[in-house]
Amino acid sequence: MSKILVVADIKQGVVRSSTRELLSKAKALGAETAVVAVGSGIGGLVSALAAAGSDTQYLADDPSLALFSAGPWASCVVDAARRFEADMVWFGFSESGKAMSPRVAVRLDAACATDIIDVSFVDGAVEIVRPAITNKVLQRIRILERKLVAVVRAGAFQAASEIGGTENPVRLTPPEADLRAAIRNIVSDAGADIDLADADIVVSVGRGAKDAAGVALVKSLADDLKAGFGSTRAMVDAGFMPHSKQVGQTGKIVAPTLYIAVGISGAIQHLAGMKGSKVIVAVNKDPEAPIFNVADYGIVGDLFEVVPILKQEIQKVRK
Amino acid sequence: MNILITVKKVVDVELNMHVRDGAIVTDGLQYVMNAWDENAVETAIQLKEKHKAETTLVSIGRGEDVQKIIRRAYAMGIQKGIQIDDPALSDADAFVYARVLQKVYEKGSYDLVLMGKQAQDTDNGQTGIILAELLGLPCVSNVIGIQVVDNTHLKVSRVGDFGTEELDVTLPAVITVDVAINTPRLPQTRGLMMAKKMAIETLNLAKLGTTPEAVGCNAPKSRILQFIAPETRKGGRKFEGDPAAVAAEVVQLLVNEAKAL
Ligand SMILES: Cc1cc2nc3c(=O)[nH]c(=O)nc-3n(C[C@H](O)[C@H](O)[C@H](O)COP(=O)(O)OP(=O)(O)OC[C@H]3O[C@@H](n4cnc5c(N)ncnc54)[C@H](O)[C@@H]3O)c2cc1C
Ligand SMILES: Nc1ncnc2c1ncn2[C@@H]1O[C@H](COP(=O)(O)O)[C@@H](O)[C@H]1O
Repeated sequence: MSKILVVADIKQGVVRSSTRELLSKAKALGAETAVVAVGSGIGGLVSALAAAGSDTQYLADDPSLALFSAGPWASCVVDAARRFEADMVWFGFSESGKAMSPRVAVRLDAACATDIIDVSFVDGAVEIVRPAITNKVLQRIRILERKLVAVVRAGAFQAASEIGGTENPVRLTPPEADLRAAIRNIVSDAGADIDLADADIVVSVGRGAKDAAGVALVKSLADDLKAGFGSTRAMVDAGFMPHSKQVGQTGKIVAPTLYIAVGISGAIQHLAGMKGSKVIVAVNKDPEAPIFNVADYGIVGDLFEVVPILKQEIQKVRK
Repeated sequence: MNILITVKKVVDVELNMHVRDGAIVTDGLQYVMNAWDENAVETAIQLKEKHKAETTLVSIGRGEDVQKIIRRAYAMGIQKGIQIDDPALSDADAFVYARVLQKVYEKGSYDLVLMGKQAQDTDNGQTGIILAELLGLPCVSNVIGIQVVDNTHLKVSRVGDFGTEELDVTLPAVITVDVAINTPRLPQTRGLMMAKKMAIETLNLAKLGTTPEAVGCNAPKSRILQFIAPETRKGGRKFEGDPAAVAAEVVQLLVNEAKAL
């Protein structure tokens, strides 16, 4: 039986849904599962990690691991992978996963694949599928190494409604700090906003909103819907939105039930981050804007006129 | 400060692309400098302008297009360029490229390696981190800000999961940059003219002091079996006209048809 180690995604003391999604896929493949969690003050998460579908929980829990640092965190993952004798190590889609996965692959002498959307066994070998070239193609890839380290694209695997798991915690020794790339501080730029990755509805703003007043208008639509509030890179570059809100190839990949793109042209790099949404609505004054090629419902019009009316209509149906 | 910058020739992603029989149709494709590598070049030139850095660029790849890209970097302000051109590298993956770059690094005496965080053709985001592991150097990826403290120390910021992470880095180190770090300058005509006359050092693996076996050409970790055209999402309905009527109609459809509200 193949052994799959999933690296837990933890935010503010909560195990995120991606962990359960990955463990569900691992179990569906018939694998033995374990999870590794790294951080500080996470000792209480054993039952949550088991409930997410793991049968062993490796915990690196130490004050020195309070802030993400790719080198030491990767060491914890490597330690767990060796103890578990993992055939595969899977990361959820995250900046930390992207930073750790090649490190872990080198140290385990494994193959490395980022952004995978499918994985299967074919004639005893592992095959994966992943997008490349800004989503213009998919690659089907056969892994020729015995081991694979992979980052799974957001939304690729579904969480099972029922999933078995047993509590079997194993404590790891914390590694030494990386003094040559020393983490000093994390400046949070998102505040208490709804996390884009977890949001059921995402409203995103583009350059069509022009200025801070336009951004505020679109944000009020997001607030009415209790939606995550995202952005194009253009608005991040212009300083109107924080990096953490960028949707697209270099930002967050989202796949909500409803994505509302306001004043967004639909560049391929933006589409790469939201094309998996179930329903897409676009508001753009240019009828030729490429965003309309992917939108289920496209509203051709000036967002400064359309958004206030959308807000009113939504209030009517949401009362 | 002695800086090594890596740039890759990639297919221009803005052009249409087609897949036939499991392979990409190469007719009509054009090749450009990887976008993230342009940011690495710009970062190096800004460091040179402020702190007297030496800038050497390396690109592994075949053909004329690679030289054009190196000349573009010259026109932006890079001082020296190396092309690694060897038929054995035609199917190279991130590990192979990293081992070749390791050789290039070891032949010089560099304080800093600046790379793009990701190549637009592979979308891997691996090569820089693998290179750092092979060299035993510290590495910060996805960097959006670099500040020089002194000859051996940098303050660096990167985009992380929960905000901007601030790190103190001791050189030598590998840094991979995001597009958000700067806006690459456009080469000027005069620069392009001068760049034409500048030499490019061209090496194959033998001249680099290594062999295809040593860099892992014969033992790939994975193999691309086929390329597949992704399912394209079809546009649905477009609504034009009176904003009030249109907005009301779309909200009704979202509730009753799409069941998304
Ligand atoms: C390597 C690389 C990575 C990138 N990564 C990302 C990424 O992760 N995410 C991302 O978003 N981009 C990314 N980009 C940038 C991307 O190519 C586009 O430049 C960007 O997405 C454009 O943002 P925009 O749609 O807000 O602006 P624009 O393209 O300028 O579009 C603005 C739109 O607003 C419309 N508009 C104007 N006024 C109004 C109005 N009053 N009412 C309604 N509509 C109006 C216009 O018709 C236009 O379609 C990347 C680029 C590169 C090269
Ligand atoms: N053939 C190459 N020549 C020079 N640099 C490369 C090459 N391949 C990758 N790189 C560097 O590694 C980065 C990441 O590439 P990748 O891991 O393929 O996403 C790129 O942005 C380049 O800076």
